[in-house]
Amino acid sequence: MVQAEMVEATEFQALSNKYNVSGVPQTTINDGAANIVGAVPESNMLAELKRIMK
Amino acid sequence: MTTLLNADVVKQIADAFAPMKESVHILFFGEKEDCVYCADTQQLLEEVVAISDKLSIELYDLKDDADVAAKYNVDKAPGVVIAAKDGDTVSDFGVRFAGIPSGHEFTSLIQDILLVSGRDSGLSQDTRDFLKGLKEPVLMQVFVTPT
Repeated sequence: MVQAEMVEATEFQALSNKYNVSGVPQTTINDGAANIVGAVPESNMLAELKRIMK
Repeated sequence: MTTLLNADVVKQIADAFAPMKESVHILFFGEKEDCVYCADTQQLLEEVVAISDKLSIELYDLKDDADVAAKYNVDKAPGVVIAAKDGDTVSDFGVRFAGIPSGHEFTSLIQDILLVSGRDSGLSQDTRDFLKGLKEPVLMQVFVTPT
Protein backbone atom coordinates (compact mmCIF):
# COMPACT_ATOMS: atom_id res chain seq x y z
CA MET A 1 0.00 0.00 0.00
CA VAL A 2 2.97 2.30 0.46
CA GLN A 3 5.37 3.35 -2.24
CA ALA A 4 8.30 5.69 -1.66
CA GLU A 5 10.00 7.21 -4.66
CA MET A 6 13.18 9.25 -4.68
CA VAL A 7 12.76 11.73 -7.51
CA GLU A 8 15.77 13.51 -8.98
CA ALA A 9 14.27 17.00 -9.20
CA THR A 10 16.40 18.36 -12.05
CA GLU A 11 15.66 15.38 -14.33
CA PHE A 12 11.92 15.61 -13.74
CA GLN A 13 11.41 19.38 -13.87
CA ALA A 14 7.76 19.25 -14.88
CA LEU A 15 6.91 17.22 -11.78
CA SER A 16 9.06 19.46 -9.57
CA ASN A 17 7.24 22.52 -10.93
CA LYS A 18 3.87 20.89 -10.42
CA TYR A 19 4.58 20.51 -6.69
CA ASN A 20 6.45 23.84 -6.42
CA VAL A 21 9.69 22.25 -5.31
CA SER A 22 11.96 25.12 -4.25
CA GLY A 23 14.12 23.41 -1.66
CA VAL A 24 15.25 19.82 -1.26
CA PRO A 25 14.48 17.42 0.12
CA GLN A 26 10.76 17.93 -0.37
CA THR A 27 8.41 15.10 0.43
CA THR A 28 5.17 15.18 -1.51
CA ILE A 29 2.48 12.72 -0.51
CA ASN A 30 -0.40 11.56 -2.73
CA ASP A 31 -0.23 14.15 -5.47
CA GLY A 32 0.25 17.15 -3.18
CA ALA A 33 -2.12 16.19 -0.32
CA ALA A 34 0.90 16.99 1.85
CA ASN A 35 4.18 18.74 1.02
CA ILE A 36 6.95 18.77 3.59
CA VAL A 37 10.24 20.58 3.03
CA GLY A 38 13.37 19.41 4.83
CA ALA A 39 14.09 16.35 6.90
CA VAL A 40 11.01 14.61 8.31
CA PRO A 41 11.24 12.74 11.61
CA GLU A 42 9.16 9.57 11.63
CA SER A 43 6.67 10.95 14.16
CA ASN A 44 5.99 13.99 11.96
CA MET A 45 5.55 11.80 8.91
CA LEU A 46 3.09 9.62 10.79
CA ALA A 47 1.14 12.71 11.93
CA GLU A 48 0.96 13.99 8.33
CA LEU A 49 -0.21 10.60 7.07
CA LYS A 50 -2.89 10.45 9.77
CA ARG A 51 -4.04 13.94 8.79
CA ILE A 52 -4.44 13.20 5.08
CA MET A 53 -5.48 9.53 5.14
CA LYS A 54 -8.79 9.93 6.93
CA MET B 1 34.92 0.67 -20.81
CA THR B 2 35.60 3.26 -18.14
CA THR B 3 34.04 2.39 -14.80
CA LEU B 4 31.99 4.89 -12.84
CA LEU B 5 33.12 3.53 -9.47
CA ASN B 6 36.82 3.59 -8.67
CA ALA B 7 38.59 0.83 -6.73
CA ASP B 8 38.41 2.71 -3.40
CA VAL B 9 34.65 3.17 -3.68
CA VAL B 10 34.14 -0.46 -4.70
CA LYS B 11 36.11 -1.53 -1.61
CA GLN B 12 33.97 0.70 0.66
CA ILE B 13 30.74 -0.67 -0.81
CA ALA B 14 32.02 -4.25 -0.54
CA ASP B 15 32.68 -3.62 3.17
CA ALA B 16 29.18 -2.16 3.60
CA PHE B 17 27.63 -5.14 1.79
CA ALA B 18 29.65 -7.76 3.68
CA PRO B 19 27.06 -8.31 6.48
CA MET B 20 24.17 -8.64 3.98
CA LYS B 21 22.10 -11.71 4.75
CA GLU B 22 19.19 -11.73 2.33
CA SER B 23 19.18 -11.13 -1.42
CA VAL B 24 18.11 -7.95 -3.15
CA HIS B 25 16.82 -7.72 -6.71
CA ILE B 26 16.99 -4.51 -8.71
CA LEU B 27 14.62 -3.80 -11.59
CA PHE B 28 15.93 -1.14 -13.94
CA PHE B 29 13.60 0.62 -16.38
CA GLY B 30 15.21 2.55 -19.22
CA GLU B 31 13.93 4.26 -22.30
CA LYS B 32 15.55 4.37 -25.74
CA GLU B 33 14.72 7.97 -26.59
CA ASP B 34 15.09 11.22 -24.68
CA CYS B 35 16.66 9.65 -21.63
CA VAL B 36 19.81 11.55 -20.76
CA TYR B 37 20.72 9.52 -17.67
CA CYS B 38 19.49 6.03 -18.56
CA ALA B 39 22.82 4.66 -19.81
CA ASP B 40 24.80 6.03 -16.85
CA THR B 41 22.22 4.81 -14.34
CA GLN B 42 22.21 1.33 -15.86
CA GLN B 43 26.01 1.16 -15.78
CA LEU B 44 26.14 2.44 -12.20
CA LEU B 45 23.64 -0.20 -11.05
CA GLU B 46 25.45 -2.97 -12.90
CA GLU B 47 28.72 -2.00 -11.23
CA VAL B 48 27.03 -2.01 -7.80
CA VAL B 49 25.33 -5.36 -8.42
CA ALA B 50 28.68 -6.90 -9.44
CA ILE B 51 30.07 -6.15 -5.96
CA SER B 52 27.92 -8.72 -4.11
CA ASP B 53 26.55 -12.15 -5.04
CA LYS B 54 23.49 -11.26 -2.94
CA LEU B 55 22.49 -8.77 -5.64
CA SER B 56 20.84 -9.29 -9.01
CA ILE B 57 19.48 -6.97 -11.66
CA GLU B 58 17.00 -7.24 -14.50
CA LEU B 59 16.81 -4.67 -17.28
CA TYR B 60 13.49 -3.48 -18.68
CA ASP B 61 12.29 -0.86 -21.11
CA LEU B 62 9.56 1.47 -19.93
CA LYS B 63 7.66 1.13 -23.22
CA ASP B 64 8.56 -2.39 -24.42
CA ASP B 65 7.91 -3.83 -20.98
CA ALA B 66 4.91 -1.67 -20.18
CA ASP B 67 3.23 -4.57 -18.36
CA VAL B 68 6.12 -4.95 -15.90
CA ALA B 69 6.34 -1.17 -15.48
CA ALA B 70 2.61 -1.03 -14.71
CA LYS B 71 2.89 -3.91 -12.24
CA TYR B 72 5.54 -2.01 -10.31
CA ASN B 73 3.91 1.38 -10.86
CA VAL B 74 7.01 2.77 -12.58
CA ASP B 75 6.34 5.71 -14.91
CA LYS B 76 9.73 7.41 -15.19
CA ALA B 77 13.04 6.54 -16.83
CA PRO B 78 15.51 5.87 -15.52
CA GLY B 79 13.36 4.09 -12.95
CA VAL B 80 14.74 1.74 -10.34
CA VAL B 81 12.90 -0.69 -8.06
CA ILE B 82 14.79 -2.14 -5.11
CA ALA B 83 13.05 -5.39 -4.25
CA ALA B 84 13.63 -8.39 -2.03
CA LYS B 85 14.39 -11.80 -3.53
CA ASP B 86 13.92 -15.12 -1.80
CA GLY B 87 14.57 -18.07 -4.09
CA ASP B 88 12.68 -17.18 -7.24
CA THR B 89 10.20 -14.93 -5.46
CA VAL B 90 10.60 -11.17 -5.88
CA SER B 91 8.84 -9.09 -3.21
CA ASP B 92 8.16 -5.42 -3.74
CA PHE B 93 8.90 -3.29 -0.66
CA GLY B 94 7.78 -0.10 -2.41
CA VAL B 95 11.26 1.39 -2.73
CA ARG B 96 11.89 3.37 -5.95
CA PHE B 97 14.38 5.73 -7.49
CA ALA B 98 13.46 8.01 -10.40
CA GLY B 99 16.53 9.55 -12.00
CA ILE B 100 20.18 8.81 -11.51
CA PRO B 101 21.17 7.93 -7.93
CA SER B 102 24.44 9.86 -7.94
CA GLY B 103 26.08 12.24 -5.48
CA HIS B 104 24.35 12.11 -2.08
CA GLU B 105 21.71 9.85 -3.56
CA PHE B 106 24.30 7.18 -4.23
CA THR B 107 24.57 6.80 -0.45
CA SER B 108 20.77 6.53 -0.29
CA LEU B 109 20.89 3.79 -2.91
CA ILE B 110 23.43 1.76 -0.94
CA GLN B 111 21.44 2.30 2.29
CA ASP B 112 18.20 1.26 0.59
CA ILE B 113 19.83 -1.94 -0.66
CA LEU B 114 21.00 -2.70 2.90
CA LEU B 115 17.55 -1.85 4.31
CA VAL B 116 15.76 -4.18 1.89
CA SER B 117 18.36 -6.89 2.53
CA GLY B 118 17.65 -6.60 6.26
CA ARG B 119 13.91 -7.10 5.57
CA ASP B 120 13.07 -4.65 8.36
CA SER B 121 11.87 -1.06 7.93
CA GLY B 122 13.03 -0.11 11.42
CA LEU B 123 9.77 1.81 11.92
CA SER B 124 8.11 2.20 15.30
CA GLN B 125 5.18 0.03 16.36
CA ASP B 126 2.87 3.08 16.15
CA THR B 127 3.77 3.65 12.52
CA ARG B 128 3.48 -0.05 11.67
CA ASP B 129 0.03 -0.26 13.26
CA PHE B 130 -1.19 2.77 11.32
CA LEU B 131 0.22 1.54 7.99
CA LYS B 132 -1.31 -1.90 8.49
CA GLY B 133 -4.74 -0.28 8.67
CA LEU B 134 -4.39 1.74 5.45
CA LYS B 135 -7.35 1.43 3.09
CA GLU B 136 -5.96 3.63 0.32
CA PRO B 137 -2.49 3.59 -1.24
CA VAL B 138 0.14 6.12 -0.18
CA LEU B 139 2.69 7.49 -2.63
CA MET B 140 5.52 9.44 -1.03
CA GLN B 141 7.80 11.26 -3.46
CA VAL B 142 10.99 12.71 -2.06
CA PHE B 143 12.42 15.34 -4.37
CA VAL B 144 16.19 15.56 -4.21
CA THR B 145 19.11 16.93 -6.20
CA PRO B 146 22.34 15.01 -6.69
CA THR B 147 24.66 17.63 -5.17
